[in-house]
Amino acid sequence: MYKYFLLIILIILSIFIYLWQQNTSIRFAYKVSNLQTKYNKISIENDLLKLKINSLLALEKMYSIADRNGLMRPDGNNVVYLN
Amino acid sequence: MKKYSDRDSLLIFIVLIFFFILFIKLMYLQIILHVKIDRVVKKMVTKNNIENSKRGDILDIKGNILATSVKQYIIFLDSKIIKDLNKIKMILFKYGIKIKEQKITEFKEKSYIPIAYNVNIDIANKIRSQKLEGVGFDVRYTRHHPEGKFLTHILGITDCCGNGLEGIEKKYNKYLLGSKIVTRMYRDGYGHIIMQDKLVDQSKMCGQNVILSIDRNIQFIAEQELRKAFDKYNAKKAICIIQNPKNGGILAMVSLPDFDFSNRIKNLKILRNSAISDVYEPGSTFKIVTIAAALDMGKIKCSDSFYLENGKLKLGGHIIRDNHKINGTVSLSKIMEISSNIGIIKIAQKLVKKEFYDYIKKFGFHSLTGIDLIGESKGILMNLKYWNHLTLPTISFGQGIAVTPIQMLSAFSIIANDGVFKKPYVVQEIRKVNNKITFNILDNQKLGKRVVSYETAQIIKKLLRNVVESGTGKNAKVNGYSVAGKTGTAQKFDHKTKSYSTKFYTVSFCGMLPVINPKLVILVIIDEPKSNNYYAAAVAAPVFANIAKRTAEYLGIKKDKYEIV
Repeated sequence: MYKYFLLIILIILSIFIYLWQQNTSIRFAYKVSNLQTKYNKISIENDLLKLKINSLLALEKMYSIADRNGLMRPDGNNVVYLN
Repeated sequence: MKKYSDRDSLLIFIVLIFFFILFIKLMYLQIILHVKIDRVVKKMVTKNNIENSKRGDILDIKGNILATSVKQYIIFLDSKIIKDLNKIKMILFKYGIKIKEQKITEFKEKSYIPIAYNVNIDIANKIRSQKLEGVGFDVRYTRHHPEGKFLTHILGITDCCGNGLEGIEKKYNKYLLGSKIVTRMYRDGYGHIIMQDKLVDQSKMCGQNVILSIDRNIQFIAEQELRKAFDKYNAKKAICIIQNPKNGGILAMVSLPDFDFSNRIKNLKILRNSAISDVYEPGSTFKIVTIAAALDMGKIKCSDSFYLENGKLKLGGHIIRDNHKINGTVSLSKIMEISSNIGIIKIAQKLVKKEFYDYIKKFGFHSLTGIDLIGESKGILMNLKYWNHLTLPTISFGQGIAVTPIQMLSAFSIIANDGVFKKPYVVQEIRKVNNKITFNILDNQKLGKRVVSYETAQIIKKLLRNVVESGTGKNAKVNGYSVAGKTGTAQKFDHKTKSYSTKFYTVSFCGMLPVINPKLVILVIIDEPKSNNYYAAAVAAPVFANIAKRTAEYLGIKKDKYEIV
């Protein structure tokens, strides 16, 4: 009787382990999928920010800002070469 | 004693029959219908996803981004699902998206009616959170140019799927294009994605980055100065190329008019890169080829003098005139300084046709320079067997031959590089995302092709320096730097009158600085300038001077001459 009881317990435990493993793998898969989505979103945002930085530093834009503020290109005589 | 009653036997029989039917049904489903069911389930649960990876960036020599790809959204309507179009219109309008009635009537009952392109992720997420029925989102990479209307002809354009159509985008498409990302998604009953069959690091699948020899700052200087002249003279075209003669690397290349990446291109002709595709009659800038050939063949010496026929030379029924009427003989240097056509003809006449033809070919005319851009033209040069008594004299001063700007620049670079030709190039390096170099042009650029001797190149440099110091190129002088160069004012051929026009000219200036060990060779061409003083000395030389001064100062090239105060 004791043996049968142990066998039943073992079978139930095995089933539970199997179910737990299946459940956990699905939960992790959801987590990984969410993280992947987040990662993709952040890399898109990163690319957009890089683009924004480069657009802000566009020479045409900087030149027009400098022009608006009355800045001038330095004359050759005003440039000092250090070596 | 009877073990089971009839009633019990019947019940057991019915239960057994039920289980037997159940067993048969299961057998039918599991064994016979197995393949079909499996297919249907897989279709419901899995989803194959094919995605384009990010196209590689195009960078300048200092690593500044010139073209990059960013993921953006396309918002579309599915007319089969839409329930409340007015609500959708209202909400989308809040985010600056206007739905055109015409588009909806045009597509009618289609499931994909694109209504907004290049929507950024924030706006797309805000719209998505509204859970509008019939509004869908599609993601794709779009090409962006942070510098705006800049380097347009070199960079080229891509189509909506990210394939290169022109310029570097086309030439290096196979490197720029990343691999396709193919994955299989598993979905739950609600359609939510549970997992992918493999985790893909998308950054490793990206296209390779192409690094140009172009310097963003030098390109900006060239574009700015050339555009000023282009507008001032209301020219038909304007071209400027700057090259490092030591390795052949192109530092800037401008062809005007250009186009705006963000506008729809209606006239495809505007995509043509005149700097490599269009031909022009070079005029006096070509004289360096004649003199180099004669010097290299030993037909003339630097100390030789030539009689200039008082500015009028008869050639088989034709009269060639010079702008200057000079009595007596003049030196080789003076011929270049005043740009005498008669003097050059006299030099060319010392050469046999075949010798002159061979030198023209040796300088790279009527053949491709091999620049790594699409659409290079090889120019026009009459076959030697069709040359008549006028061909050699006219070609000697740059008429009767059509060259591309890049060929003319290469000819001057040969002189600047002490007689050695270095293939011009625009792409310096191709790098993978992990910075591993796939291709480096400098490995192939070490050896050049000798065209003329070192001595010949030195003499030509000296002659060109005199042109700037005391000849037609005075306006090309740059404070603090020694400059060598040559002006070229060429009449354009009028196809209507079948003769050379007296109204339309192509003016150019090609020069180098500093004269000893030149670091820059610059070519400026202005096509059909509308001005009373249309000469290259007045139109092209000052543009050269401005570009050369700013570029030399930017590069920190050491001054080699006292400044003129």
